[in-house]
Amino acid sequence: MTRRLVVYPAMVLICVVSLFPFFWMIVTSLKPDTEIFTVSPQFIPHEPILSRYTELFSGAIPRQFLNSLLVAGATTVVTGLIALLAGYALARFNVPMKRYLLIVILSIQMLPQTVLVIPLFVVLRNTDLLGTYQGLVLSHLALTVGLATYMLRSFFLDIPVSLEESAMVDGASRMKAVRLVVFPLVWPGLAASSIYGFITSWNELMFSATYMQQSSRETLPVALQQFFSSYYSDWGGVMAASVIFTIPVVVFFLLVQRRLMQGMVAGAVKG
Amino acid sequence: MTSTTSRRAQHSVVPARSGSRTRSRWDRFGLPSLLLAPLLAVILGVVGYPIVRTVWLSFHEGEYLMTGAFNGVDNYTEIFGDPYFLAALLRTTVFAVVCVVTTLLISLAIALVLDAGSWTARIVTVVVLLPWAMPRVASGIIWKWMFNDQYGIANWLLVSLGFDSFRGYAWFNDGFASLVAITIAVVWHSVPFIAISMLAGLRATRGEVLEAARVDGAGFYQQLIRVRLPMMKPLLTILGVMSTIFAYQSFDHFLVMTTPPGGPSHSTEVLSLLTWLQAFTVLDQGVAAAMAVVTFVLLAGITAVYVRLSKEGT
Repeated sequence: MTRRLVVYPAMVLICVVSLFPFFWMIVTSLKPDTEIFTVSPQFIPHEPILSRYTELFSGAIPRQFLNSLLVAGATTVVTGLIALLAGYALARFNVPMKRYLLIVILSIQMLPQTVLVIPLFVVLRNTDLLGTYQGLVLSHLALTVGLATYMLRSFFLDIPVSLEESAMVDGASRMKAVRLVVFPLVWPGLAASSIYGFITSWNELMFSATYMQQSSRETLPVALQQFFSSYYSDWGGVMAASVIFTIPVVVFFLLVQRRLMQGMVAGAVKG
Repeated sequence: MTSTTSRRAQHSVVPARSGSRTRSRWDRFGLPSLLLAPLLAVILGVVGYPIVRTVWLSFHEGEYLMTGAFNGVDNYTEIFGDPYFLAALLRTTVFAVVCVVTTLLISLAIALVLDAGSWTARIVTVVVLLPWAMPRVASGIIWKWMFNDQYGIANWLLVSLGFDSFRGYAWFNDGFASLVAITIAVVWHSVPFIAISMLAGLRATRGEVLEAARVDGAGFYQQLIRVRLPMMKPLLTILGVMSTIFAYQSFDHFLVMTTPPGGPSHSTEVLSLLTWLQAFTVLDQGVAAAMAVVTFVLLAGITAVYVRLSKEGT
């Protein structure tokens, strides 16, 4: 009885609060200005228009979208590789000072970004990487590598060592045992750390705004922030740009959400 | 590369066995170091070195992003004599406390609802996590639109609920009201991750102990406060640390939602924003580095306190 009276209405409320900003962003981007600037809000556009999107796509947005995709994609792949190797090593070997290494890995996640942003600027400038994709990817690794390694380690720990050992007793090299026996099982962990890396890099603003000042190399968060500060009252256009920016992460997220939650839960509960 | 090594291994099973001593040494030291090398390179290169460098910079003059002469603790005396920095320090702390408390309470409520629900909970779980995936810049812009004075949905809702003073209320003309709006946007963004982690924690408390409490006649609240929350203490500590650090680091929402950044008239400046502006707009990296070090020390201290508290209880 209490379940019906409390739990279900609460669930409806939770869903409304979670989803309304998404809904409102999409609806606003589709409404002509006359329907946006009304005293009482119009929840359904009467004459939906797509002109804001076509306008944006003929501008710099495709380029910026590509830049973001490139940076986030590269960050994801590199993070995955590093974390896969390190996660395996930390789960299976008696590495000296492992305890401290794990603490360091976890505390990276807790670092204020402002501690990194100034010296990385100097490093990138001195190595001529300022304003390059490689430079930005490098800076994003600082944000992703720690938690990804930790997540993958906990996935490796869940796979019984006996599986690899029996494969190795049967004559397989460690490499082969890992590739054929362990890797297929750790796949969900890799998916989880990948989406984490992708979302982190795709959304990151402070490093991107500082290091990518050339307009042709701008990523979406920077472009959107600048678009917003210069076309302040064009709410429809800003919303359309926000939709374009949001869609890829949401789609990627929905595709792998189950894996992601497994990974997050593993990270949180065992951490 | 993998395929050739494994093929060779297939044919050389016996010789590999006889050389098991070299192989085990390789297995014990060589392989793990090789596997850890990329991670260590990243940690040292883009985390370790920058930290050392920031600390070093904070004791030097650093105008126009050039490192100048050693100036002792001048940067520190400068920021601690700067009313704007002190105000930002206090503001960030209050903001963080409010954010953490609201985030944890709302997350716990959501986790309890999801824990009580049946099959519908699975779909709702995905919906709950969705805001986490929205880019912070986009969510800042959307919330700013919803808090628009003339056409914002927030004011419309408040007026329809009978709060007539919110008709045309300009949230971003005043520091306090701006901070309220920003807090709501930040909490909306940070609740999902915490709520889902708490849900996992709550699920893990189901079992014999909880069953025994139920048999002994403990009600819902007694079960929650006496059994389930104490069992979740390590998780709650981590989530507390995480949300505190996220709140202290809030940057995107502030940069997007306030005009000019940190305005009106410095009333929404927080540590991260002030540090960044100091470094890349004022172009004084020495002072900015000192601010970053203060933030770092503060967060490290907070983390230590949390960890100590969670250990004392058990």
